[in-house]
Amino acid sequence: MKKPDLKKLKEVDFKKAARDFVYGKPHGERRLGDLYIPKTGLYKHREWRGIKDTMYYFNNIWLYNYGMIVHDLMVYGGGPKGAIQFLKGTWRYRWMGQTYLTVMHWFDRCLEGMRGETLKASAWHFRGITSACLYQITGFFNRDLNIGGDPALRAKTIGTDETVWGGIIYPYMDQGGYYLPTQMIPYFVTCHCNNHTVLNYIDAVQAYGLPGDPCPMCQAEAGIYIEDDVPDSFVAMVTTNEACDSSVGTSVIQDWMMNKPLFAMPQVMQFDDDSVLENCAKEIELAWRFMEEQTGLEFHWEELKKHIELQNKQNQFEREKWDVAANTHSYPINGVAQALYRIFYSQYGERPFWHDVDRRVKKIMEKCVNEDINTFPMTRHRVIAWSCAPLYYSAWCTWAYNCWGLNTIINMDSLMFDLDIRTDTYENCLLDIAKYHEWAPMRRMAVGGLQHIFELWENMEKFNCDMVMMYDQLQCKGMQGVVGLFEDEFRARNIHAIWMPHALPDKRTVPRSQIRQIINDYMFTVMGEEPLDPSLLDFDDIDSW
Amino acid sequence: MLGRKSRKARKKAKRAKKAKRFVRRTVGTLVAAYAGLFCVFYFDLDGKLLYYVVEPFMKNHFDNMERRDPHDVPYDQIDSEYMSKF
Repeated sequence: MKKPDLKKLKEVDFKKAARDFVYGKPHGERRLGDLYIPKTGLYKHREWRGIKDTMYYFNNIWLYNYGMIVHDLMVYGGGPKGAIQFLKGTWRYRWMGQTYLTVMHWFDRCLEGMRGETLKASAWHFRGITSACLYQITGFFNRDLNIGGDPALRAKTIGTDETVWGGIIYPYMDQGGYYLPTQMIPYFVTCHCNNHTVLNYIDAVQAYGLPGDPCPMCQAEAGIYIEDDVPDSFVAMVTTNEACDSSVGTSVIQDWMMNKPLFAMPQVMQFDDDSVLENCAKEIELAWRFMEEQTGLEFHWEELKKHIELQNKQNQFEREKWDVAANTHSYPINGVAQALYRIFYSQYGERPFWHDVDRRVKKIMEKCVNEDINTFPMTRHRVIAWSCAPLYYSAWCTWAYNCWGLNTIINMDSLMFDLDIRTDTYENCLLDIAKYHEWAPMRRMAVGGLQHIFELWENMEKFNCDMVMMYDQLQCKGMQGVVGLFEDEFRARNIHAIWMPHALPDKRTVPRSQIRQIINDYMFTVMGEEPLDPSLLDFDDIDSW
Repeated sequence: MLGRKSRKARKKAKRAKKAKRFVRRTVGTLVAAYAGLFCVFYFDLDGKLLYYVVEPFMKNHFDNMERRDPHDVPYDQIDSEYMSKF
């Protein structure tokens, strides 16, 4: 047996080791990059955050969420039958069987290095997102005729493009009307949770003959249909031209492959012209009539009003969050949790699980403000993220804070749906709903006209940010057109901006390591700063989820 | 009388002993399960199982699944009649 090296033992600072064990290592000494198994993104062991936070993570996040996944499956799925449908769906659809089982690693990646109230509030956002996903997954499988779903449920269900706002189903919810955005779960969320599967769908559509240069998001969305991986869970479909003309191309392929009654609901690009608002409102009314014809449901104004008012409450709380984020150092939600939660609930629409999360987060946020807790104490720069983010690396915000102290305060997608919809009269309500539709993701600022994409400057000021993370979606023809204009403005306004190239869901075009390298280069050479955690500068996670 | 009492007391003591053993075993099992789960959590064993075993298995299953040939889908759409009303 080898004798212990007494010299080495003498060098160990036991007092410090004990302190690190109890409270966790301070930021700067953590060396989080050493925890990874090369290429895989798996951990040799999960991070030790001190006794309190590690046990919180273990009990209240890891164990709790695994348990709540089972709970949600049983509740949303309607008992054991729902669980059987879930198993059948897991076996039938790649986007489920290969993707969502890895959900807790998504939590891990996005919550790395977080402590205390920040850890709690951010994790609650992911709990909300996970619950919303399960609500939709069980919604798909319980109705899916491919796996023996219930035709009666399917008969009251409308499939949509994911950019058709979920509020379109509000007037019918009391009669069992159900809305299924056909791309949100099979495509959009998969990229964040496990980006392996989306590549199959991109390759499928290109193998079918589509060129490789359109938006990879639209390619993937079409690829799901080419691969016959969309459940037969809805009776008819409502599509829209949002966010761009590439999305229209997707709808053409979808329409062809599914062969179901389809209503195309166009929304205008240049939404500032009020004369077009009435036209959009008419399109929405036509979509409602189409849905009624297909499902036999009736339009209930009071039901619509009820859900809109609840949604307005969510929006009002969002503004409270922004106020705290903009004016204090006590905002307890990290960049990725803020971004994904906001875009998910404002696009999917009002449902009970969001209110539960908001109630809990409000409590945490109030505690942070009342006790003046500095939630991101190592912040060196307050960052605003602008344009459309890389879906396969939404956790870059967490990495950037841990490695460089870049704290992402707010992002463009969070700011898009800032509208309280009026419910005083049907006419006012309809006009506001039309406006809400026009402000869809990637639409209001990204392709809604130069003055809107340049809303960056006022939001930078409003949120007290000193740096811009400028997303550069290489296959978005709309955003590629304004690169030069932004560069001129950054120079003229003397703003530090880092261009982050990416291809939305496709990590093969710009790998995550390259994104990190670009940020590292800027921070070393332009800012002249040193990393807080050098172990995170360069690591290989090419095959990770 | 005394013998009967002591027999009762013996039975009671036996029951108490059994109950204690049951509680001890239950608590022990729960503690062991909790510790085991903590090991799974801390050493990322759930991630490793999913990454090295479950995902490759599922991937293989989906790669070999028989799928509809998209070229066989007819181009005429059933909604064309409906849309022509607008």
